[in-house]
Amino acid sequence: MEREDKKIIEIGNISAGYRRIEILKNIGLGISRGSFAGIIGRNGAGKSTLLKVICGLLKPFSGNVVLNGKDISAHSKKDLSLEIAFMPQNIDTSMPFGVEDFIMFGRYPHMNAFKIPSKKDYEAVEEVMETAGIKDLRKRNVCELSGGEKQRVLIAQTIAQGTEILVFDEPSSHLDIGSQSDILRLLKLLNEKHNKTIIVTLHDLNAAGEFCDTLFLMDKGKIKNTGSPQEVLNYKDIEEVYKTTVIVKNNPMSGKPYVIPVTAKS
Amino acid sequence: MNKRTIYTCIILILLLFAVILVSLSVGSSGISFWEALKVIFGGAGDNTAMIIKQIRLPRIIMAVIAGAALAASGCVFQGVLKNPLADPFTLGISGGAAFGATAAFTLGFAALGSFFVPLFAFLGALISVFIVYVLSSRKRFGGDSMILSGVIISYIFSSAVMLLYAFFYSNHIQAAFMWLMGNLSVFDEQLLIYVCITVILGVAALCLSGNIINMLSLGGDKSKTLGINTEKITKIIFLTASLITASVVSLCGVIGFVGLMVPHIMRRINGADNSSLIPVSALAGAVFLPLCDTLGRMLFSPVSIPVGVITNIAGGLFFIFLLMNSKER
Repeated sequence: MEREDKKIIEIGNISAGYRRIEILKNIGLGISRGSFAGIIGRNGAGKSTLLKVICGLLKPFSGNVVLNGKDISAHSKKDLSLEIAFMPQNIDTSMPFGVEDFIMFGRYPHMNAFKIPSKKDYEAVEEVMETAGIKDLRKRNVCELSGGEKQRVLIAQTIAQGTEILVFDEPSSHLDIGSQSDILRLLKLLNEKHNKTIIVTLHDLNAAGEFCDTLFLMDKGKIKNTGSPQEVLNYKDIEEVYKTTVIVKNNPMSGKPYVIPVTAKS
Repeated sequence: MNKRTIYTCIILILLLFAVILVSLSVGSSGISFWEALKVIFGGAGDNTAMIIKQIRLPRIIMAVIAGAALAASGCVFQGVLKNPLADPFTLGISGGAAFGATAAFTLGFAALGSFFVPLFAFLGALISVFIVYVLSSRKRFGGDSMILSGVIISYIFSSAVMLLYAFFYSNHIQAAFMWLMGNLSVFDEQLLIYVCITVILGVAALCLSGNIINMLSLGGDKSKTLGINTEKITKIIFLTASLITASVVSLCGVIGFVGLMVPHIMRRINGADNSSLIPVSALAGAVFLPLCDTLGRMLFSPVSIPVGVITNIAGGLFFIFLLMNSKER
């Protein structure tokens, strides 16, 4: 690929927030095509706000977002929905939709005016269910799935949109370690086998170090550090951002950094 | 469309015909079921035909249309606002209509001409829709703020109704009270055709928007990234559903339960997919309301009970039955 080094998303000097409260303060970053980018940081650091700006949901006060070499405000809503798929934290799953129908919602941008699914849409849903390993959930209702199953279905819905960029806001929070690895392995598969660019916010630093190839450490609306997990997950930065004492070791299997919080000795 | 939806539709359509036939043959003039059937297919005595066509048929058409409109709009409100409590009542539409109609009765306009009551009721409904719309547009049409404003508006209007009663203590109150209970026995038949057209067009539009409502029910951020202008679509759908509700309510009074519970019950049977749920709910409403009206005419004949009373009691009991029997209790 000749565009390998070219950034798929470039953010320049963004300030953004809600009403008058500024949450992101002069942020600049670039995300490479085909990367698995993780955004880490404390609660309230601005991770979700950054994702909303990237997805065009929140208009920044100042600065610009360039997607595929074109300013994001120059993309129509429809165009944007064919480039970026977003999985927010708060998707409503209280209505008893069937799993298959629910995944089909992700095909919406591809449908005709009356939004009646075509044969191609059904094939896409079938393929996505295969990828996400949820064919056995086909006949179930979304409101009665377990936490891990629900996340898989939501991810499948996001992939069904067929975009090159996939953005996930805390896809593995509130899950047991088994389900968490399942989810992140699925994202890794999408990244490696399906050439998707993945942008994800994570709370688990070790999972972030293990799965992501680029990390952005956020602190109080700014980017504290950027780079590979080895570069970002150093004890100094982590202690400064998280205000707790940690030890960083290497994972014996992967050699990736492993952060262990410890009780500070007085 | 899955098989279950198709079977549900077929059963409901058969029920609709059955209810219409039974309803046509129930009454004080002793017309049999078969005679009613004959009239439908043209071929019965002039007298019988006249009773059926001029007295009973308009009432049944009104019931079918009103039931379909209330159920479809209730279903749409619940889907768009993502709140199972949304219906013409909780959104203040019925409250506004009730106030308008009461004003028409107590201030003496009803005596001037029969069309004043529906006119005032319609205006009242529009005022309340307008207020809810303005209040919630500041909150970007979030489901909760809309229902909250609707409930508040209902309270204010129902106090205003009481106020009118207190000021104008007169024999108009009986008429106003009957209207408030939801009544199909007296309504302005000249207006029926307009209401029919409005409701048929409105319900058809809502049925077609089922897939879009599905997307809206995922929540703001998700539906926006699917390329949907959520605010604009919420507005259009809210106004369409309000219009058909207002036109029905202004003609036949406040009929409770249908808009709230029929979609609930059908959601249990059909599932939540709005593209099939809206037409199925509309059909179920079209069966349910004439059924209740027929019961109201039969139960304590010759006294006819207002249909609103029947819908509330029958529907409420049926819903309790459903809750008791549900698995997840």
